[in-house]
Amino acid sequence: MKRNGNPRWKYAITLLPFLILVLMFEVVPLLTILVNAFKPVDGHGFTLGNFAYLFSKRTYQQALLNSVVIALVSSAIGLLVAFFGAMAAASATSRMKKIFMAILDMTSNFSGVPLALAYIIMLGNVGVFVLFAKQVGFAPLASFNLYSTAGLIAAYIYFQIPLATMLLIPAFAGVRKEWKESAALMKARPWQFWAYVGIPILGPSIIGTFSVLIANSLAAYATAYALMINNYPLLAIKISGMFVGEITQQKELGSALSVILMLLMSAAILVNNRLLGRPGKES
Amino acid sequence: MKNHKAGGNIVLVLIMVYLLVPLLLTFTFSVFGNWTSMLPKNFTLRAYEDMLATPRFFPDLLRTIIISVVPVAITVLIMLLALYTVLIFFPRLEKFLQLLCMIPYAIQGVILSVSIVSLYTRVPGFLSNRIFLLVGAYCIVILPYIFQGIRNAMRSVNMPMLIEAAEMLGASKLEAFFKVIVPNIVPGISVSALLSISMLFGDWVVIRNIAGNAYENVSILLYMTMNIVSVRTATAMFTVVFLVTLLISILVFNLQSKTEGGTSREER
Repeated sequence: MKRNGNPRWKYAITLLPFLILVLMFEVVPLLTILVNAFKPVDGHGFTLGNFAYLFSKRTYQQALLNSVVIALVSSAIGLLVAFFGAMAAASATSRMKKIFMAILDMTSNFSGVPLALAYIIMLGNVGVFVLFAKQVGFAPLASFNLYSTAGLIAAYIYFQIPLATMLLIPAFAGVRKEWKESAALMKARPWQFWAYVGIPILGPSIIGTFSVLIANSLAAYATAYALMINNYPLLAIKISGMFVGEITQQKELGSALSVILMLLMSAAILVNNRLLGRPGKES
Repeated sequence: MKNHKAGGNIVLVLIMVYLLVPLLLTFTFSVFGNWTSMLPKNFTLRAYEDMLATPRFFPDLLRTIIISVVPVAITVLIMLLALYTVLIFFPRLEKFLQLLCMIPYAIQGVILSVSIVSLYTRVPGFLSNRIFLLVGAYCIVILPYIFQGIRNAMRSVNMPMLIEAAEMLGASKLEAFFKVIVPNIVPGISVSALLSISMLFGDWVVIRNIAGNAYENVSILLYMTMNIVSVRTATAMFTVVFLVTLLISILVFNLQSKTEGGTSREER
């Protein structure tokens, strides 16, 4: 590639727009967050005080707990459904699979404010399902409270399922029919095949998908905010609140909270890489 | 075996029903005046009339399209230049480029938007222009997807060979890029570009945090309508917004099945 006298560096100028964009809107802002997180409020120097303060306040503890619980539960349920969905898709006819994929594709963008609206109409205080359950006397649904942790989990599961299924389908394509046939020849039942062969092979993909789901739900907050406005402590809602709107901006605390959220998300991704035994995501 | 297949189909149908119910229900809600008993009553298009009477609706729709398309166009152009140069002249930098492009994927909208807001809003001049900041933030949000799309497309056409061939025919490297490479990878790029557009189209987090009142897209309007005006009018907007995203999805799907045979395919 290197040629005598050909200044390939001349072409480096085409990298300039990219570098400017990334520096201005990604690298420098993130570094600022990191610096501010360890800066005393309205002062200079280095401190861990912001973190100490956040961890000592009940509302932030609650936000952290809520975020983690919702992420874990919605990811686990989403993953479970996606597992069976992807498994079924792998053995479905190509026509069926095509329709299924089209619907996943279509619904994977369905989140945030519109999703909250749909859930209010279905499960809100006067939601269609809730009123119906009241009429037929189905208590668990009639008394369902959408504006609670359970309600948020229900809404989060909805956007986890298409994403998780789309991530798992290629993995199932890697489980070869021949293996199933060999297992069947050795008189293994289908569940035995999956327990001893299928799931161990799929392990990395399953864990990878789980970590994507965790990160996805930790950072998602449009749905939660549209449902609860400010009345529900959630990490992402608290972060935005410290920078946007309201009277006083709390840059340092907000930055510290952002760092906590970033750590949680990187933890999800690192666990993934560790278990997969290879650095970086698949390329 | 037959039984197993039927079971699989039941699972697929159940999931599809689960995914479609909220959409269909919200749409049904938008065309009926009363839904307090088992079945909806009083078919009416009032919600749509109310929506059309909202003076901001169409301008907001247009604004949303503009703010979804412009950052994608900018990012595609920037990424094309950067990836071309890196892959041809500085292949060792590819890992570095990839890292920079994948970070937004890990930090997502909330942190990105607040970090930009906190850094620039007090700065004088164009740097604190909310719309400028919004475009910049959007470019970063879609970086991972555009990067993947362009890189996969460039790989699938065997770029070094094409360039060599073009050079032998007397083209410069830059000419070869615009006249040979770009036309060849357009189908692969358009898929990731459209996906990015539909993602930005539905954004609410970044635009709310960065633009505040300076720029209103349909998500913001939808949010205000459902909270302040009426849920029913909001469901009509919901339906229109959904149809627009559906249109983009269909475009993507068609493009994907068209390019499937020859060029890009994400799964290996």
